[in-house]
Amino acid sequence: MGQLLASYGHWRLYLNWLKSPHMLKGIITFLAFYLAGEFISHLFAWPIPGSVIGMLLLFVFLYLKGSLSPALKKSSDSLLPFLPLFIVPASVGIVNHLYLLQQDGWLLVIAMAVSLVLAIPVCGLLMQHMLKIKTRKGAN
Amino acid sequence: MHWQVALNTLWQSPYLGLFLTLISFQLGLSLYRRSGTQPWLHPVIVSICCLGGIILLSDLSYARYMDSAHFLSQLLGPTIVALAVPLYENIKLLKRYWLAFMVSNVLAGSLTIVVAVAIVYVGQGSDVSLNSMWVKSITTAIAIEIAPSIGGVAALAAGLVMFTGVFGAVIAPVLFKIFNIHHPAAQGTALGVCAHAVGTAKAIELGSLQGAFAALSMSFMGLMCALLLPFLV
Repeated sequence: MGQLLASYGHWRLYLNWLKSPHMLKGIITFLAFYLAGEFISHLFAWPIPGSVIGMLLLFVFLYLKGSLSPALKKSSDSLLPFLPLFIVPASVGIVNHLYLLQQDGWLLVIAMAVSLVLAIPVCGLLMQHMLKIKTRKGAN
Repeated sequence: MHWQVALNTLWQSPYLGLFLTLISFQLGLSLYRRSGTQPWLHPVIVSICCLGGIILLSDLSYARYMDSAHFLSQLLGPTIVALAVPLYENIKLLKRYWLAFMVSNVLAGSLTIVVAVAIVYVGQGSDVSLNSMWVKSITTAIAIEIAPSIGGVAALAAGLVMFTGVFGAVIAPVLFKIFNIHHPAAQGTALGVCAHAVGTAKAIELGSLQGAFAALSMSFMGLMCALLLPFLV
């Protein structure tokens, strides 16, 4: 009897967990949309990755539904900080392609540096300019 | 005592790659935090260097490492789907700015990609480098997924994306000052378009509006490139 009472606290915790917006529901949703995306990608033989189609589908779904469930929010908040970790194993594959860096390394560095130094000011100034025109119109 | 056998078991363990990845990433996280979030000490860069060093210097091959760490790569797909949640949460911000946002994303995004690809083309880089360059301005997770379908190498694409992100995050605040770009939405968008995830981390430091716009344009660029590049390249 004492044992039963002692485990009552744990049972309540478990019940609360069952009712709470726990991560499992969100992960099931993400996996379902991912699988749907893979299905569509292969069905039409598109070269677009299933994950991107799944993301688009989930976005459209949320937009039409107009609300975000707490379970989904909690799962994405817990999963997304680990996104950088999940890209590490594929990125380490660069060790098999070091010859590419020896061959084109400097060219790649120059290409990236020049394209950035050009595009960052263009993007910032363009957007700032368009917003200024808009606020001026709004003031009139 | 069987030192040799025991050590050999450890070295051949199917958990070795997973363990090494987690521990080097954690090392990267601590370094990143202690350095005051220096972009070039990004956890991904630290762990690629650690793991690459281990694979090059020891008899652990990349294939055997990948067998063990494959589990982490498999989580990439569902996590990309989860990016829809912050996109949905931030999309309300666009209401007032959507036209300016779209125009600067499409124009600046195409500009940065075309200039980079043109330089590699003129400089007669190899086809693999050229094809990997197309994805240099989108978030690494999506770049890894679409690089193979346009004839690039996922790992090289990831390296280019990380370099672009770090360089962009370092140089953007300087360029903002020189060109007097002070509007938070414009700063965020420029960081998101050009420096994706690393830039978004920088943008969050500049302010929450900058961060939201950087995240929005990062998702927008990722989506656009994933939808268009496989058909264009």
